Amino acid sequence: MMDIDVPGHIEKVAELEGHDDRAWCVAWNPTKPVLASCSADKTVRLYHFSKTDADTENPSVTFVHNTTISTGHTKTVRSIAWAPSGTTFATGSFDSNIGIWEQESSDEDDEMHGEGVKTGEWECMSLLEGHETECKCVAYSTSGTLLASCSRDKTVWVWEVHPDADFECMGVMMEHSQDVKCVAWHPTEEILASASYDDTIKLYIDDPSEDWFCFTTLTGHTSTVWSLAFSPNGRYLASSSDDCTIRIWERIEQHKWECVKVIEGQHERSIYSLSWGVGKRRGDDGKGEFGGWLASTGGDGKINIYEIYEPPSSSDPKGREPPTHTLIATLPSAHGVHDINHVSWCPRQGYEDLFATAGDDGIVRVWRINLNGQ
Amino acid sequence: MEIYNPNPTVYKSTRPTVRYPKESSLWLVDDLDDRQDKDEDEVEEIDQDEIFDLIRSITDPEHKHMTLEDLMVVTAPQIHISPAKNVVDIEFTPTVPHCGMSTLIGLSIRVRLLRSLPQRFKVDIRVKPGSHQSEHAINKQLNDKERVAAALENPALLTAVEDCLVSADHRD
Repeated sequence: MMDIDVPGHIEKVAELEGHDDRAWCVAWNPTKPVLASCSADKTVRLYHFSKTDADTENPSVTFVHNTTISTGHTKTVRSIAWAPSGTTFATGSFDSNIGIWEQESSDEDDEMHGEGVKTGEWECMSLLEGHETECKCVAYSTSGTLLASCSRDKTVWVWEVHPDADFECMGVMMEHSQDVKCVAWHPTEEILASASYDDTIKLYIDDPSEDWFCFTTLTGHTSTVWSLAFSPNGRYLASSSDDCTIRIWERIEQHKWECVKVIEGQHERSIYSLSWGVGKRRGDDGKGEFGGWLASTGGDGKINIYEIYEPPSSSDPKGREPPTHTLIATLPSAHGVHDINHVSWCPRQGYEDLFATAGDDGIVRVWRINLNGQ
Repeated sequence: MEIYNPNPTVYKSTRPTVRYPKESSLWLVDDLDDRQDKDEDEVEEIDQDEIFDLIRSITDPEHKHMTLEDLMVVTAPQIHISPAKNVVDIEFTPTVPHCGMSTLIGLSIRVRLLRSLPQRFKVDIRVKPGSHQSEHAINKQLNDKERVAAALENPALLTAVEDCLVSADHRD
C-alpha cells in the first residue's frame, strides 16, 4: 500500500457484526450513548457504548449490542434518524413507509440514573404513508419539530411533529425530475436541502403565508448527488456525487448559495456519504477559523478525513477566499473489498474524534482519528 | 407486450465454448469446495473469456429461445477487466436502438455477476455507445446500486431477472 503523507491515521475502535445483509446507514443518538444501524435485512440494531479506563489518558470506548428491532418494514430499511430528544427515531424504507419508534417505559428505568439507558421494548408508534415508492432518507430538523423525507417518487415531504407520535404533512415538494437521494437540515435555521439522481441540489424554506418552497437549485455536479452535509456553523453545505467529487457551497447571501470549492481526485468511485463534524483543532497555526472535520466515503471503500479552515470572516464576502481543506487521515479498504454506504461523526461531547461507517459487508465499524503524537 | 425487435439477427456462435478445468473456474457457486482448498492468499486472475462464459447463456428477455450470445448482445471483446483495481467493465449491445428490454438485460447481467464473481470485483455495465436512444438513462440506472437493490426487492422484476438467468445457471 502506498504511503500517503498525512498527519493522522484512522484506528478501529469497534467492529459491530450482526446484520444479515448490506448495512445502509448509522445514526448516533444525540443525548444517550447509543448507536443505531439499519440494513437490507429489515432490522435496526442498537448498541450502547461507554468509556473504559476513563481516568487514563487514552480511554478506550467499548460497544455492546443492546437490541435488534425487527421493524416490520417489508423491504430494506434504507435510512435511520434520531430526533434531537434522543427518545424517538425514524426509519425510512424501500417499502415506501416511514416508521416512528419510541421505547416503552419499564420498571427497571426508575432505578437508572444520569445517562442511564432505558430497557423497554421499542415500538412503532406511527407509520407515515405517503411516498409512492422507496423512501431513501429521513432527517429531523435541529429543533425536532420537523421531519423531512424523500423518495424515488421524486418528492420531498416535510412533516410537522405533534405530541403522541402524531405527524402532519406540511408540504410536498415536487421539484426534482428524478429520485431524491438525500435530505439534510441546516443546523440552526429551518432550511432544508435535498440531493437527487437528477444531479442537482435544491434548498427549501417555509413561507409563513404560503407553503414550503424551493428557493434555489444548485447545479454543478455531473452525476447523481448522493449525500449532503452542512458545516457545524451552517455557513457551508458539502455535497458528494457519483461524479467522484465533493463540492462545497457557501451561503453568500440570505438565500444565495454558491459553489466555492470542488474536491477532486480523492475517490475513484461514487461518494455515497459525507459527514461534517466539529472535530478537534490541532494547535493554532494561523490558518483562519477552524471549520471542523469533513469525512467522505463510498464505492471505492476508502474513508477520507479533511480538516477545514475558513478564511477570516471580516473580509468582504465577494472577495473572500474559499475554505481550505487538508487531508489529515485516509484509510483504503476500510470494509475490505466492500462499498461503504454511510459515515457519521459522533455528536457527543468528548467523542468528537469518533465516527461510524456502514458497509455492504453488513458490518458497522467505529473509528477514531488518531493524530500523531497523541 | 410490445415487441421491440420482431426479427433479430441471429448470429451463429463460431467460437467453441471455452471450457475451463474445474479448478480454475471457481466463480461458480458449485465450485465452493474447490475454493476452500486453495491458498487463501492466492488471488485468482480472471479473464474476459471467463466472464463472457458467465453471461453468454443469459436468455434474451424478448426472444426467450435465444441467449445474449446468440444475438451478439454480449461478446468477449466488450468485456474489460482492470485487475489492479478489481473493476470489470461490461458493454452490451441492444439489438435495436429503442429496445425497451435493455435495462432488464443489464440488470440480469449485473445479478449474474453479483452472484458468481468474487466480491472484490466492482462491476460497471453500459450499453455500447450509440446503440440505444436512451443510452445515458440506461447506463445511469444500471450503475446506481440503490436502484438495483430496490429493483431486486420488486417481486415482478426479480422474477423477470430469474427467468433470464435460468439458462445461465444451466449452461452446457
